[in-house]
Amino acid sequence: MFADAKALADAIQDVSAETVACVSPDLPLRANLSARENIALIPLYQKSRRAAEASQQAQALLDKLGYASIGDKRDPDMTPAERFVAKIARALILNRQRLIIERPGSMLYDIPYPAFLRELSKRIDEGPARWEVFDFEWNKILYS
Amino acid sequence: MDLIINLVERTGAKALAWWSSIYSVLSFLGEAFATLAMPATWNRATLDTIIKQIYFTAVQILHVYLIYVVVISWVIISITLSTARNVGLFDQATEMIIRVLVLELLPFLTALLIALRSGSAINTEVALMKVYNELDALAHCKVEPMRFEFLPRIAGGVASVLGLTIMGGVLTLLLAYLSIYGLSASGLYPFATTIASVFNMKVLLGLAVKCGFFGLAVTALPIAAGLETPKKPFMVPVSVLRGMMRVFLALVLIEVLSLALKYI
Repeated sequence: MFADAKALADAIQDVSAETVACVSPDLPLRANLSARENIALIPLYQKSRRAAEASQQAQALLDKLGYASIGDKRDPDMTPAERFVAKIARALILNRQRLIIERPGSMLYDIPYPAFLRELSKRIDEGPARWEVFDFEWNKILYS
Repeated sequence: MDLIINLVERTGAKALAWWSSIYSVLSFLGEAFATLAMPATWNRATLDTIIKQIYFTAVQILHVYLIYVVVISWVIISITLSTARNVGLFDQATEMIIRVLVLELLPFLTALLIALRSGSAINTEVALMKVYNELDALAHCKVEPMRFEFLPRIAGGVASVLGLTIMGGVLTLLLAYLSIYGLSASGLYPFATTIASVFNMKVLLGLAVKCGFFGLAVTALPIAAGLETPKKPFMVPVSVLRGMMRVFLALVLIEVLSLALKYI
């Protein structure tokens, strides 16, 4: 979806949080936890998995996304792409019906992000089949 | 007339602000106790986080705390013994040391140490989490901040104040014995008799309740202050300032109430 700032904000507000996993600049990682711990929180607290099992599941997801090495890194030590991957993994492990990436340009400001998103989505065969991107209309040209 | 209206308005605004703060603390505590009572809260993940918090709050500072207790206790025991000897009340010195140092001063100083070290850190961290939307992100992931972030800190704080006070108290009693009787075993019986006469069930229960309230004050008040922070980074220091003032007032209030209940 491409829209101006206000329409994007309205669209995000309309989305039901129960069924949507959001990757957004407004939903940061927990700063004092590593990437793996941030992802493992979900199986640990939602599915009552054991700590070791949750941690393994989180690391497996990072491996699949091609970022195995960021497991121990905390938010301030990560590059924008690494931070984004950690957020994507956290959203994927939520296992919700929809995955929405909101304003990717403000999270991936130092790389050509449409190609990066395509590349990442190819590496994942589980979770929502389609990744929905909510971006500003003036960025539409970047995706062509 | 304007002056009076202005004064009434300002007093009213201050009273409302105080009431709003008290209400937010009470509602936070209510939510914390409700979560505590839910069986789902008591899973492995919560217990692990509580253990981690006890480690950060109590175990990491254990050596510093024990040195601090030895120094403070040694100075106060020496003053008490010297004064008691001068006024001819040396026989009462053990009881005075237990009542002043072990029952009153040590729990208060322990709570103050934890408030300065961990309470201020908790206040800052919660305020930053609020400002940078980390709490919203946890809520989006259906990881309740109360279960994951707040309750373990409160439980860890209460357990730490209680545990450190017990350890400090035992160390102080040992120092008191050595200061009065030296290495001789002859004082064991009178010393134990005095301890038994002071530490009846009522006193022990009172001490445990006081430590519990101290633990709540040094953790729940900073968390509540952090949660009240507006989403503006420059408000974080103000939040910590407010939170720590509340902790100090609460500690003094708990201590005064405990003394009043015991001695008035």
